[in-house]
Amino acid sequence: MRCIGTTLGLGSVIYLTSFSSAYAYLDPGTGSMLIQGVIGAIVGGWVAARLYWGKLRDFFASRSAKGLPKGNAADSRDPQ
Amino acid sequence: MTALEIDPGSFRDPAGRVVHLGGRIYRTIAESAAGDYEFLSRRGVLDRLRDEGWIVPAEEVNAAILGDTGLAAHRVVEHPCLPFISYPYEWPFGALKAAALFHLDLHLRALDEGVTLSDASAYNVQFRAGRPVFIDLLSLRRYREGEFWLGHRQFCEQFLNPLLLRAYLGVPHNAWFRGNLEGIPTADLARLLPRWRVLSWRVLLHVVLPGRFQAQAAGRTDGGAGGVKRRQLPLPALRGMLKQLRSWIATLEPGDSTATVWGNYEETHTYAEPEEQAKRRMVAEFVAHAKPNLMWDLGCNTGAYSALALEAGAGTVVGFDFDQGALERAFARTSRGRLDFLPLFLDAANPSPDQGWNGTERMGFGRRATADALMALAFEHHLAIGRNIPMDQLVSWLIRLAPCGLIEFVQKSDPTVQRMLSLRDDIFPDYTEEVFAALLARQARIVRVDTVSAAGRRLYWYDRSR
Repeated sequence: MRCIGTTLGLGSVIYLTSFSSAYAYLDPGTGSMLIQGVIGAIVGGWVAARLYWGKLRDFFASRSAKGLPKGNAADSRDPQ
Repeated sequence: MTALEIDPGSFRDPAGRVVHLGGRIYRTIAESAAGDYEFLSRRGVLDRLRDEGWIVPAEEVNAAILGDTGLAAHRVVEHPCLPFISYPYEWPFGALKAAALFHLDLHLRALDEGVTLSDASAYNVQFRAGRPVFIDLLSLRRYREGEFWLGHRQFCEQFLNPLLLRAYLGVPHNAWFRGNLEGIPTADLARLLPRWRVLSWRVLLHVVLPGRFQAQAAGRTDGGAGGVKRRQLPLPALRGMLKQLRSWIATLEPGDSTATVWGNYEETHTYAEPEEQAKRRMVAEFVAHAKPNLMWDLGCNTGAYSALALEAGAGTVVGFDFDQGALERAFARTSRGRLDFLPLFLDAANPSPDQGWNGTERMGFGRRATADALMALAFEHHLAIGRNIPMDQLVSWLIRLAPCGLIEFVQKSDPTVQRMLSLRDDIFPDYTEEVFAALLARQARIVRVDTVSAAGRRLYWYDRSR
């Protein structure tokens, strides 16, 4: 869990400090950019949460699979 | 060969300029934009978007064709001429909505190709056979991972806010948009919306918060730019924004949906069936004879006669009316039938002027195109009686608009004119058919006159070219 927290924290720092050039001939408007920054942060957080939720699920799934008597897991997947 | 003219409305984007030469349309591509253009061209993106009907064709030509323009033209492409360039402040609600949805769909389609749109100007959308089409290929450029949607504010001001103004407040966008060519400012719309509208997270996200953030950032020394530049918008978030705006705009309908005076004209007008047949017959005969490439339909109403003119052989009909209800139905007609008919909002007593930077950026109605013919059916009395336009000026104005045409004269005894005069003095002693006919005959040849209603409405076919 400490590993996940560190990765999330580091990811956020990299995400929030990476530079994206404006590259426009028109003024995009600070208000619009700020709201997109908020949307980006929410979506970024959501994607990260999904990613780590998946990892967490796999981690517990593998732990519970290890706890089962040998052959049971395979039996449940392959009824033949 | 006519002189080369740089389009006065194409100065904003340094990526290129639009050039008119010998009745043809060219677009120069500056060296700074050549990389993106070559990427789009080499990867076949431009061809695919053209074939799918998103963008107008652009054929590369020798840059020397323009001679010494003084422009840094790295490459030059030629576009086909559109019959008529219209502006968003002339579009009825349905057309602006169609253009908004089209712009979002184009952006989503472009992202599939690794391409984005550098702006969201409504002026880059035009109408062709009842459907929107994108005219500025230089707005298309390579997408950079994590970049913001730079045209979001422009999209809101030129598409979303005008639509919300009508949908939520029942106020047509046309007059305000014409007064402010950049569209409806977000902060102004936010001040007008009722408080309960703010409860919608979509209103909050695209109208209220951007306005607040903008105001807060204006008070900071760096304008808030420093904090913004450090952030990114992941591609799924950009797609999500575009799709969410699309689904919102698709539900918007005019908030003033009660019938307008002329919106139900086809059901309530004062013509009986045989009279209407007489009118239709003369319109069809006139159009078949004139064979106009471009035709005006002044007071087009729901576009029934425009559609008839197209059937009779007109190339493109541009219709004008000031009744929003009628225009909605006219746009639905052209959109449904994919007609070369474009219904636009125009108050003939105050038509779109030359305006914008240097007074030339957006062309007025009179200068934008020359029609080959016109129809002004059940129209002149709205100006002569309704707006007190002197008859001699009215006839001169109409005849100047096209070399031949059909003008319907409505007698003072007609029920419609009587209704218009019911609450006011009759200050129109010269409003007679004799005066009208004499003024017309002074400036054009009267080819034919038909009586088309029991109340004595008369259809004048004039021709000033021979």
